[in-house]
Amino acid sequence: MTTLITGRSLGLVVCLRCRATVRANGAEQSLCPRCEAQLAVRRPHSLSTTGALVLTAAVLYIPANLLPVMRTHEILSDEDDTIMSGVISLAHQGSWPIALLVFFASIVVPLLKLVALGDILLAIWRGGVRNPRQRSRMFRIVEFVGRWSMLDVFALSLLASLVQMQSLAIVQVRPAAFAFAAVVVLTMLAAQSFDERLLWDAQKHD
Amino acid sequence: VPSVIVCHACDLAHRSDSLASNARVRCVRCRAELYRTNDRTPETAIALALTALVLFILANVYPLVAMTVGGTTRMTTLLGAAEAYHDQGYDALAALVACTAIIVPAIQIVTLLYLLIPLQLGRLAPGQNLLFRMLTAVRPWGLTEVFMLGAVVALVKLSAQAEVSPQISLLAYGLLMISIAALTSATPSEQYWSWITAVRKRRP
Repeated sequence: MTTLITGRSLGLVVCLRCRATVRANGAEQSLCPRCEAQLAVRRPHSLSTTGALVLTAAVLYIPANLLPVMRTHEILSDEDDTIMSGVISLAHQGSWPIALLVFFASIVVPLLKLVALGDILLAIWRGGVRNPRQRSRMFRIVEFVGRWSMLDVFALSLLASLVQMQSLAIVQVRPAAFAFAAVVVLTMLAAQSFDERLLWDAQKHD
Repeated sequence: VPSVIVCHACDLAHRSDSLASNARVRCVRCRAELYRTNDRTPETAIALALTALVLFILANVYPLVAMTVGGTTRMTTLLGAAEAYHDQGYDALAALVACTAIIVPAIQIVTLLYLLIPLQLGRLAPGQNLLFRMLTAVRPWGLTEVFMLGAVVALVKLSAQAEVSPQISLLAYGLLMISIAALTSATPSEQYWSWITAVRKRRP
């Protein structure tokens, strides 16, 4: 087996902004000679930042999914819609592909993201990652699909903007819409603040 | 240290005597993309950014979607979507929609034009390092393709109760989404820095 040599063991640092490989000159606060970004051997406080963001997002995931994100006022009745009831009414309407798309983007993806990031953090905290390749693949999938959860935030903005007064109905935004958007933003920030190299640093060989 | 490239995702060191041209190079251990180059001058990217700029303007001045119920038609614009949240007291959501669907794409287009045009002329734009870093920081927050799909979802939802039709701006926005994707892939980081380095060498 060939031995793998890391940047750290050679005294080299990668600039996370421009990705230049730079000689680490001991000083913690050095700047990238190419783009002048702050350099660090590892992103500072990566685990605690990601952990705090994941935890906050996990708490907000509950009201985001249980409480209504919008209310439709009609002449005789008011109707509250949660993310899930929105999916169900799309399905009733016969728009199966769109219903499935919203279901995955709004409900499955955020949950998957929380579980995947939580699993990665726990594995590192326990002090041994047996399969960093698999976990890094999972992390990248989660990072890549995460942005699509914003779908409902945009759809709701257009509904609220179009359905006003003269159409005999009014769409009103409910507070859970804020919780939902916060989950999406916080999980995106959580993925961005995670330093993937920590997975490989914690690799356990056996 | 020009002969070593360290992977940003797993810290593995790779020996690399020169940059491969017109290639996408991945880390042998974790498969992360180490760099991508395209052998082009900034010209292609400038053309794409100008296209995106025109589409961005069109997408903002025309109506996005129209809805007709009982003889009255109501239209909304791109900015109107963000305003709807503001009107109902959700300013944070309004700011989020405005940033991800309008402001970040605008910043991307304008900043790249500002950086690339001087580069094509063999100069460096003042503040180029700071602007490059800002660009890489905001890039993940440009969500044009997600907004596009969100508009489709809203149209489908409304079509059950009303007559809805996409307008010029939605078409322009769809094309904007494509041109921004093309612009991003025409300006991979390492290619950009090879243009910069070439200029820096010529005028120290």
